[in-house]
Amino acid sequence: MNDISVYLDGVCKKYPHFSLDNISLELATGSIMGFIGANGAGKSTTIRILMGLVHQDSGTVRVLGHSMPGDQAAAKLDIGFVSEDMRLYGPATLAWHMDFLRPIYPRWDQAYAEALARRFDLKPQQKIKGLSHGQRVKAALLLALARRPRLLVLDEPTTGLDPVARTEVLEELMAVLADEDRTILFSSHNTLDVEQISDQITFIDRGRIIDSDNKEVFLDRWRRLRLVLPPDGAVPRFPGVVQVGGSGRLPVLTTNRFEPAMVSACNEMGATVQAIDTMTLEEIFVANVHSRRERGAA
Amino acid sequence: MNYSMVGRLIWKDWYFQRRAILLSLAGGAVSLLIVAFGGQPGFTIGLIFLVSILAIISATTVMGNVLGERENQTLAFAMSLPISYLEYTTSKIVGALLIFVPLWLAMVAGCLGLILAAPAIHGLFAFTVIMAVEMLVSNCLLIAVVLVTESKGWSTSAIVSGNVSISLVGYIVAHVPGIKNGMWGTTILWTPAATILLLVEFALIALILGMAFFLQSRKKDFL
Repeated sequence: MNDISVYLDGVCKKYPHFSLDNISLELATGSIMGFIGANGAGKSTTIRILMGLVHQDSGTVRVLGHSMPGDQAAAKLDIGFVSEDMRLYGPATLAWHMDFLRPIYPRWDQAYAEALARRFDLKPQQKIKGLSHGQRVKAALLLALARRPRLLVLDEPTTGLDPVARTEVLEELMAVLADEDRTILFSSHNTLDVEQISDQITFIDRGRIIDSDNKEVFLDRWRRLRLVLPPDGAVPRFPGVVQVGGSGRLPVLTTNRFEPAMVSACNEMGATVQAIDTMTLEEIFVANVHSRRERGAA
Repeated sequence: MNYSMVGRLIWKDWYFQRRAILLSLAGGAVSLLIVAFGGQPGFTIGLIFLVSILAIISATTVMGNVLGERENQTLAFAMSLPISYLEYTTSKIVGALLIFVPLWLAMVAGCLGLILAAPAIHGLFAFTVIMAVEMLVSNCLLIAVVLVTESKGWSTSAIVSGNVSISLVGYIVAHVPGIKNGMWGTTILWTPAATILLLVEFALIALILGMAFFLQSRKKDFL
């Protein structure tokens, strides 16, 4: 368990109109997990549970070796948390926030905080209420990073940022990744952001984890096969085909278990493989969600 | 209990309410001056000012520090700090009391001092003490309601009922025989009835704050 920073097992949480159902997740120390889901999929609820801010109805949650929510105070000493709906104190300056946090965190790095302020073009003496949304996100990120946390939990931090601010935030996150002992959980509905910085990907939809794997494995095993069928030819059936699109003699198969052998198998069945397309994380996510929902409806 | 974290959160709440605290201290001092030197009408007007200032500072600080934290979405920041929800609750209750009680004590002491300095109204001493503690009860009720419900509607109701209850309790206390009989006299009269009323008020404070801690400890969602 020592090399696991985040461990959720069978976590359930019921609300009148939404349920988190049997969430199990493991995040190894030093890894960066992209947590992807549509709005309302359960990302924030899961993150709040692992932060101890929402108590699970059942299941086990351990963060940095601490049992949650009971031991949340000790766990949060090593966690940097930024969420889309988190605001700093408007009447206070960024410098005030730094002074407020410095005695709380033993590993607080003032030099790093000041360097980040320069890099993010933030003026420490400026009041938070005078900052733009992008500057506020950067300020919150600065305050989380300067704690030198062992675990960084970012809940949709790039939502609402303009492209320049988003790039700056992502660049800083990528710089942070140089520290191999730091674990990051990064939730977003923007797959492009997640794809850039994550090495593990987890998809969540309607309160359930629908897939979780290494990013490279994800990108390797998902493919779109564009076929040309002979007249009266049937669409070949393979395990792992999650969607059949296209029309008539030109079907498009989306598979999550692609193997080169599938091409020869198609040829043997009289079908011609016209193209094998790689898929972006967004396409994989959408195909994954659609296929699960279709299966759920069937 | 991480007392240093609780202390840090209390200091933060003080910092954000510092102007309101200073303003109410100044307002309280002016009210006491009006009571002292304003003659008969000044006595009534000054007391009304004093009660109003205490009611306003109570509502402003509790609403600002507790409800404002949720409305301004700074609760996520506060709860990301290494604290448990019980420590957060403690900081809010103790913080709100540490803002209100010194102001309340200063104003009550000033008020009682003026009564002691004027033998003609010595009889009001017991009534004033009981009503002052009633204001503390109202403040504790407001803290508890705001903290537990985190709702603007409930908080507004608590403020209104707190203010109404002061008039109501004042009327009832003024008609309790053990208080009423010596109220307009020139000697300080402390009766068993006054002691019982005071004990009831302190018991209510303990009950209200105990309930607040109990209900907060049963909460499962903090954001």
